[in-house]
Amino acid sequence: MRALAAEASKLASLPAVWIAMAAGVLVPSVIAAITASSTRSTVTRGAATVAGADAGYQELAFGVVGAIILGVVAISSEYFTESAESGGGRQITTSLTAVPSRLRFLLAKISAVAIACAVLAIIASGTTMGVVHVVLGEHAPAMGVDDVPRLGGVVCYWVYTALLAFGITVLTRHAVIPLAVLIANTSVVTVTYLLTKITPLANYLPDMAGVRMFVRRLPDDTVEISPLTGGLVMTAWVAVLLVIAAVAFTRRDA
Amino acid sequence: MITIDDLVKRRGSTEILSGIGFQARPGRVTGFLGPNGAGKSSTLRILLGLDRATSGTALIGSVPFVQLRDPLATVGAMLDGSGAHRARTGRAHLRWVARSAGLPRGRVDEVLDMVGLTSAASRRVGSYSLGMARRLGLAAALLGDPEILILDEPVNGLDPDGIRWIRTFLREHAASGRTVLLSSHLMGELAETVDDVVVIHEGKVVADGTLDEITGSHRTLEDAFFALTTGNAP
Repeated sequence: MRALAAEASKLASLPAVWIAMAAGVLVPSVIAAITASSTRSTVTRGAATVAGADAGYQELAFGVVGAIILGVVAISSEYFTESAESGGGRQITTSLTAVPSRLRFLLAKISAVAIACAVLAIIASGTTMGVVHVVLGEHAPAMGVDDVPRLGGVVCYWVYTALLAFGITVLTRHAVIPLAVLIANTSVVTVTYLLTKITPLANYLPDMAGVRMFVRRLPDDTVEISPLTGGLVMTAWVAVLLVIAAVAFTRRDA
Repeated sequence: MITIDDLVKRRGSTEILSGIGFQARPGRVTGFLGPNGAGKSSTLRILLGLDRATSGTALIGSVPFVQLRDPLATVGAMLDGSGAHRARTGRAHLRWVARSAGLPRGRVDEVLDMVGLTSAASRRVGSYSLGMARRLGLAAALLGDPEILILDEPVNGLDPDGIRWIRTFLREHAASGRTVLLSSHLMGELAETVDDVVVIHEGKVVADGTLDEITGSHRTLEDAFFALTTGNAP
């Protein structure tokens, strides 16, 4: 518990974490505001009758960038090397002399990231859905019991994505590559989505499977994966990656 | 008591440490001397469980560092720089370290005061000078009021005031029956601080004894050091 308290304290005092939090709330909310207002004009023009069932959810799939930043900086900050003039130290040495058990350290960090990201996902879901309902007004899709597991899926997806980003960064010990690759994949060029054009197996990649937890209609959907299956597939990816990361982390020199 | 026995560390085909062994006893300041690249930091990193030895043991009391129940209250360690992330404030850094050991917040202010960083505690570590960064590293080492201090190049980057302060501090620390192990490549600064000297050169201990024994017939510790690491190098 002490190790977890220390990790929570680290996250709270790191400016990059607050940037991640801001991005996590703003990105989906702003995109939702833009899409919802264009949907609204389509509906009022009579071109469509009602907003799609994925209004808000699609945006939350994009907004996961905040979770990615959180997962990456939580561990890359440990390896950030001070300038030579300041002695060239790294925080990881302090961390591991304070909590010498590598596994305990990693578990505490994983827990802190998961908790912070779950809180972030709940806030982001609230604001994004709020924006959709305010902008669309009466045209907004009705929220019901059905949305509870879907929003639970959003939280799961965000936490898992943060942990995937975390696991990759444990291996790279550097923020740049995981940040660039993961953020590009969710926004600019969705490589994993393009891969589904080549092989249906790509639908079982972590992000493609994970979004099924809450997105009902994917573009050019060829494979049917239930929300539960999608969640389990992503869970498996996260578990495997974290085990690899833990093995590497406990074996190598800090 | 710190006991290091036959420590070997290989990285690829290079042997960084070739059978390092020595002890650091309570109530004494032990100086671990050697030129840059001799293996001082590698030895200390293995002692602190940061790096893994190829063979040999490094014990704190009777257990390896990673098995200590309350590491911060047993060993205070300072390695390179501040050991803090540059975007955090000095106080925020010490607070998370304190939390990891369940120490009260008040202790953070105490150690800030001890190292003379109180006025800079709310500034980001990135804006610290090297001397301030070292003081912050020392503050973190002192948080748990440890029995043993392990300091890598503690006088590096300190101004003359700071060097004088740390000398007095370490002497007092040892006088109260605690163990101090410090590494340095600066002989002059060390001669007035240490009781025991271990000289390391190219991954091997070339001399181990009290300050008087090591200085021996040489005029100063520095002369003895150069004789050991250049003239008589095996």
